[in-house]
Amino acid sequence: MDRKEANGVMRMHGESSRMAESGIDPKKTYDAVVVGSGAAGGMAAHVLTIHGLQVLLLEAGKKLPIEQELRSMQWPYDNAYRGALPPDHASITFNEYTIRRPPYGAGLEKTKHLHSYVGSTDYVKNIVVDERENPYTGTNYAWVRARCLGGKTNIWGRLALRLSDYDFKAKSRDGYGENWPISYSDLAPYYDKVDLYLGITGVKENLPYLPDSIFQRPTKLNCAEVTLKQSLQKMGRTLTQYRAGVTSDGLKHNQYRSQCFGRGACERKGGCDIHAAFDSPTGLIYPAMDTGNLALRTNAVVREVTIDAQTGKASGVHFVDSETMKDYTVRARVVLVAASTLESARLLLLSKSRLYPNGLANSSGHVGHNFCEHIMGPGVVGLAQDLVGKPSTLDDGRPGGFYLTRFRNLAEKHPKFIRGYGFEGGSGARMFPEGTDRHGFGASFKEEVRRNEGAYISMGAFGEVLARYENYVDLDPVVKDKWGIPALRFHYNFGDNEHRMAEDMKETAQEMFEAAGFKTVHVSSRVLTEGWSIHELGTARMGSDPKTSVLNQFQQSHDVKNLFVVDGSAFVNASCQNPTWTIMSLCWRSCDYLADELGKGNL
Amino acid sequence: MSTEGPINLKQDRRQWLKTSATVLGASLLPLPAMPSEVAQAETAPGTAQTKPGETKSAARFFTPAQHTLVEELSETIIPADSHSGGAKAAQVADYIEQALRETVDNSQKSVWRDGLRLIDLMSQHYNGKSFVDSSSDERIAVLTVLSDNDHMTDLPEVRFFRDLKGLTVRGYYTSKIGIDDELEYRGNRMLTEYVGCDDPTPKSR
Ligand SMILES: Cc1cc2nc3c(=O)[nH]c(=O)nc-3n(C[C@H](O)[C@H](O)[C@H](O)COP(=O)(O)OP(=O)(O)OC[C@H]3O[C@@H](n4cnc5c(N)ncnc54)[C@H](O)[C@@H]3O)c2cc1C
Ligand code: SF4
Repeated sequence: MDRKEANGVMRMHGESSRMAESGIDPKKTYDAVVVGSGAAGGMAAHVLTIHGLQVLLLEAGKKLPIEQELRSMQWPYDNAYRGALPPDHASITFNEYTIRRPPYGAGLEKTKHLHSYVGSTDYVKNIVVDERENPYTGTNYAWVRARCLGGKTNIWGRLALRLSDYDFKAKSRDGYGENWPISYSDLAPYYDKVDLYLGITGVKENLPYLPDSIFQRPTKLNCAEVTLKQSLQKMGRTLTQYRAGVTSDGLKHNQYRSQCFGRGACERKGGCDIHAAFDSPTGLIYPAMDTGNLALRTNAVVREVTIDAQTGKASGVHFVDSETMKDYTVRARVVLVAASTLESARLLLLSKSRLYPNGLANSSGHVGHNFCEHIMGPGVVGLAQDLVGKPSTLDDGRPGGFYLTRFRNLAEKHPKFIRGYGFEGGSGARMFPEGTDRHGFGASFKEEVRRNEGAYISMGAFGEVLARYENYVDLDPVVKDKWGIPALRFHYNFGDNEHRMAEDMKETAQEMFEAAGFKTVHVSSRVLTEGWSIHELGTARMGSDPKTSVLNQFQQSHDVKNLFVVDGSAFVNASCQNPTWTIMSLCWRSCDYLADELGKGNL
Repeated sequence: MSTEGPINLKQDRRQWLKTSATVLGASLLPLPAMPSEVAQAETAPGTAQTKPGETKSAARFFTPAQHTLVEELSETIIPADSHSGGAKAAQVADYIEQALRETVDNSQKSVWRDGLRLIDLMSQHYNGKSFVDSSSDERIAVLTVLSDNDHMTDLPEVRFFRDLKGLTVRGYYTSKIGIDDELEYRGNRMLTEYVGCDDPTPKSR
């Protein structure tokens, strides 16, 4: 890595934390206040400051000394806990998600801190929230939240995919749900901008249902992956290199991010300490600060969007300081909610007033509804037998393995379910070997682990969960979080279409591995708890009809002109592609529109 | 000990427990079995709930004799061979000691306290001597009884074996010996380009 870049990051940390403390000007009316600093909030701050607007970015979490947290190249034996959680922390297991009901903190009181399933290592324990401070209730749901500058982008898996008109116009294809109020052609220029500004690796495939990005240098497949790819070609299916939101060639316009150097601990889920992998702080927020137009306030838990009773428009927000518990009010000409899908719905529902008794932007009654995501669980682990016993290879020096694209309900209709699913997978030697859960012990156990080390290949499916009005969140009448704010209550379950699709995922996974000649080690048919995908979407959907949608095509509230909800809550359906690249592209488009409208005096 | 098919642990244990019921008390009666999902190890071993680390407290969890026993047990799970050192060389017993000293999971502590005694009872029963005094084959024989019956998670000695194996595996494959010598792991370094399938030699920088 370039030294200068590392210093740049450090210097910037100093500056931005000073800014955070210098805080906000209570007398000032900002052009825009943005709630949340993840993928969506970071993008909003970036685009609006480029347009010259004076922006205040409010983030509920702390500003972490992120390089200390991430430790991307630390060897396990140099970590006090070999990379696992310290004894006063625990994470919720699949079992506990299944047999208990939220709030999960109650009853799991052995350790001081409790995290979602993602918070199972020393590298993420300070990034994901403490479940006890942030309870939720209702149906079982593995809700993964990161409250810190950058939100979940600090630890995201970086699979960066586009949606297509197979998704935006899915209703026209199968009659279910609603079409989006936009087409691929509306968003394509913004996908391009995001590609170029943030960097993405991948290979062009010319698939109508999974459009290509403007890719930087791709990562490579390893041998078992190539075997699978070739076998799939015969079935007319596509396996492509992991499309990662990672800059493999570097970005000349961004001094805070290095190019990728293919280091092994990438899969650690602790982020990338040289920021080759996109995260919102170095990718969007620090550059926005460099414009001089951005003020950042961390530890600011927004509890309400305030309303001007005269005009019915948003006037700013109330927030509580997460440490001092003091209340603050800030004023702005436009309010952008980007607190992540579920938190944004919560904030709208919390913002009740005489004018808006059902919560803000909710004349349709759709806020919190049409909640959707991806179903996970079915998958397969196999052994490429020609690689067993071969000398050790370097297989994990890259941000991801492969993506096996959707193949259901494209040309033909599947008789049992609508929509599609894709698989994420990878193969080869890892720092911690696969296969140690095998039976037995002793010399043969040790030798088997070693011989098979580089031969494992596995993949798991992500499938579309249909957006249904009946799947929704609302506010719990009793339970509150640490700051006295009503908790979210879930009413959410997978439906028949999802379960039938999961059945198919398992079957096809096994078939494809067998066709490639892999020895099946394990086939999983178990569906993981709702929420596991961390791709929650759709609680304030866009649409052209204000009676059945919350936002218009620019993520602007139908009811309140100067209120925008610029994160995944705007999605009309979940598609089966990971959402973050689309979240940012939509947000960029909406913020261009916002700046334009504000300039024309229309907001 | 004969090797005609797997030993039924539930039958045998009555005999070896009888000799020591007074020493051990009632704590070694079968417990409710673990739910099978737990038994199936939900994710990688790396995600076990509590892990050892530095601590100010110098109090040891193991007596010196127990420490020796754990060394030999872990070495039986992952022995040295012509390829690389085993659990003993990788100081897995120290890792386990830390894990147990620091855990807030008291049931795990008692699984170990009871387990170490039960192992010696089993060794006396099958080999006529303590585990540490047994030969390598005799040690393997004792652990084979547990491994062959490792679905009987209502038995404290089986729970002990499973935890012993889990911690040994985790401690070993996160050690320098495990990573460098045994697995010859080649990643976690700066690369100009990931090599992939066509050219197996990485260009390191
Ligand atoms: C382990 C993991 C792997 C993932 N892998 C992928 C992947 O491969 N591909 C992909 O596309 N996506 C992936 N995701 C999902 C991706 O991280 C999210 O889609 C993305 O971060 C969403 O951006 P966001 O801005 O909506 O929310 P977030 O990134 O969660 O940011 C929201 C921010 O708002 C703040 N906030 C919340 N409430 C308030 C409040 N009341 N006041 C002030 N601030 C508030 C939060 O603290 C947070 O910082 C993954 C996520 C995780 C955790
Ligand atoms: S492989 Fe690339 S993206 Fe992953 S941690 Fe290393 S430098 Fe970052």
